[in-house]
Amino acid sequence: MEQFGEKIRERARELLETGKVEVFVGYRKGTVPMMNHPVLIRDPGKAEILHWDSHCGLNLCNYLTKRTEKIGVLANGCNSRNMVTHIIENQVKREQLYIVGIPCTGMIDHRAVARAVKGREILAVDEEGEAFTVRGRDFEETFRKKDFLQRNCAVCTHHNPVICDEMIGDPVEEPQGVQAYKDVETVEAMSAEKKWGFFTQLISKCVRCYACRNACPLCYCPTCFVDESRPQWVGKSVHETDTMTFHLLRAYHCAGRCTDCGACERVCPVGIPMRQFTKKLNKDAMEYFSWEPGLSLEERPPLDTYRPDDYNEFVR
Amino acid sequence: MLKGLVEHVGIEPGRLHFSWISSAESTKFVEVAQEVAKAVKELGPAERLVKRRAEVG
Amino acid sequence: MLEKSYTKEEWTGALKGLQESCRIYVPVKDGDDHFFRLFDGSKAPDFGYQNTRLSPKGIVYPQSERMFEYTLDESDPDANIYKEVGKEYSPRAIVGIRPCDAQAFGLVRRNFDTPEYRDPWWVKSYEATTLVGLGCNEPCATCFCTFVGGGPFSEKELDVLLYDLGERFAARALTEKGSRFLDKGPGGRPLDDDEKKALEERKRSAEKKITSHVPTDQLSKKVVTELFDAPFWEAVAFACINCGTCTFLCPTCWCFDIQDEVMGKEGERMRNWDSCMFPQFTLHGSGHNPREKKFQRVRQRFMHKLKYYVDKYGDGIQCSGCGRCVRSCPVNIDIRQVAQLMNSY
Repeated sequence: MEQFGEKIRERARELLETGKVEVFVGYRKGTVPMMNHPVLIRDPGKAEILHWDSHCGLNLCNYLTKRTEKIGVLANGCNSRNMVTHIIENQVKREQLYIVGIPCTGMIDHRAVARAVKGREILAVDEEGEAFTVRGRDFEETFRKKDFLQRNCAVCTHHNPVICDEMIGDPVEEPQGVQAYKDVETVEAMSAEKKWGFFTQLISKCVRCYACRNACPLCYCPTCFVDESRPQWVGKSVHETDTMTFHLLRAYHCAGRCTDCGACERVCPVGIPMRQFTKKLNKDAMEYFSWEPGLSLEERPPLDTYRPDDYNEFVR
Repeated sequence: MLKGLVEHVGIEPGRLHFSWISSAESTKFVEVAQEVAKAVKELGPAERLVKRRAEVG
Repeated sequence: MLEKSYTKEEWTGALKGLQESCRIYVPVKDGDDHFFRLFDGSKAPDFGYQNTRLSPKGIVYPQSERMFEYTLDESDPDANIYKEVGKEYSPRAIVGIRPCDAQAFGLVRRNFDTPEYRDPWWVKSYEATTLVGLGCNEPCATCFCTFVGGGPFSEKELDVLLYDLGERFAARALTEKGSRFLDKGPGGRPLDDDEKKALEERKRSAEKKITSHVPTDQLSKKVVTELFDAPFWEAVAFACINCGTCTFLCPTCWCFDIQDEVMGKEGERMRNWDSCMFPQFTLHGSGHNPREKKFQRVRQRFMHKLKYYVDKYGDGIQCSGCGRCVRSCPVNIDIRQVAQLMNSY
């Protein structure tokens, strides 16, 4: 996807020069392989630092709130759906945003790449079309991007932005017949004991850094429930129950809102696949309410409204 | 959805119950209370997502 | 000081022998990353690793540590007594720790062990620990230990330094503690002349391999208020998501928060690692928060590490160049770049 870089720089420069936007939020190329650095630029001359490739897996929606300026921002499918969610949850106004849409073919899973080169130090990763080359001190290997997509990108059905003011490049074809919830179904088939074992193992390395929560655009509460102390809902230590409560409830707060952008899994320093929590909720939202968040500016989310035909078999 | 998530992580089905009871439905209240008590007793003491003491460091 | 050479199997055998009198922590691969774990034979140590994801500071200074406890249960003989929680300070060793992480303990000790105050838990825990370092033959691209008074074969704070010579480890004791450690373990033979020559050569070649460039020489000369008011902080701070990744992974970060947890008739006072990146870090009881805005917190972190510590102790920055924050920052805020910005301001 690196071919979009030139167009992005050109568009950002023009938007800033003409005053159509006051600031532009995008990425600058990172100082370590497979990482990029979110930036905000005001000066059209700085547009040359903007960069786009298959390592832009963070969610730029985090940087849109509590601003007064007119913001130009890059958005692929999932990020654009989060912008819709932000708009309907009154975190940002539609008029404030000038969305530059990008037809995304997915982000690369940096952990999968590290695994593929058997943990040897990676010094550079260069992308070219649908392939990328990984270079180390004494090795060089080329891989196909589609074998190394981030787990959420591999099952994505919204590559193209759902809302935008202009598009960079032509829309890509949305895949059909994607089975997005195979991993959730595997867990659903387990006994309660095995499920508990699976999830306790999953979060066992958590150090409560809250990178997942902070990278998530949905988590914008002024004081998160884990930071409350009067009353204290959750302990602040790394006690297994407190950590499980944090992950469980954070996921639940994203119920019916999560667009599976994968930023949470990407930023975790110890590699916890915490989408196992939110994917179950996404699956349930689909099954019980036929709901996919972030697709409509008009419709209210199901946990926000009452419909007479709402699922209620579980209520006695 | 909460029930789905809680049971998905391995809390035994039968620990979390939902019921809609009006204050005028006293018989229903009694029935549900008894059902829940029975269901939970059958499962025994809760061991998952329980914290007795800090048990760290 | 004692010097011994072992084959790699002999070294594992030596650790097995030492295990009986000492709790040994070794780097172990768990999933995609390495962590320091207790050596109990269940998983083989991986001394070919680069560095652990989390720093070994957690072994000496646990993330969550109970300090005091009490019970109001009258049937308990200790009822109504607020007492210290018993701790295990039997000897332990961190084997395979990198010189940057060992040096970090020295930087942190300035905080926990001062003439006026000694943190009893940290100090006792540290004194019970023997640090057996493993020099880096191939420093990572993100390392910059040579710029902070350290190096891939630096001996600071270490009791023993291991050199990986390919088929063998050469172990050099650097302190009495280290000598006793090596002496107790079975196996090994004295170094031969080739091995002795190889040590110096390994050190020099490793130092040349550091590719990062992080100048810190001008920091002490800067006027602290000018750096504080510099215009670049907003731009540096923009991407930060205020998580605790950098602080929790950093071997030189030491902040903690003390909390009480009460459950019915029992309670404990404990401490947990805290992060200056968290918005509530400086929240006062009155409700006022002097570092309410993100850029104030990000500025604080870098000023503390690269300026306040330099001015306070006159011995370089509060950083050991391990590169963990550079590798793990979710938004790629790079301390090497910020140091450059500050150093040349």
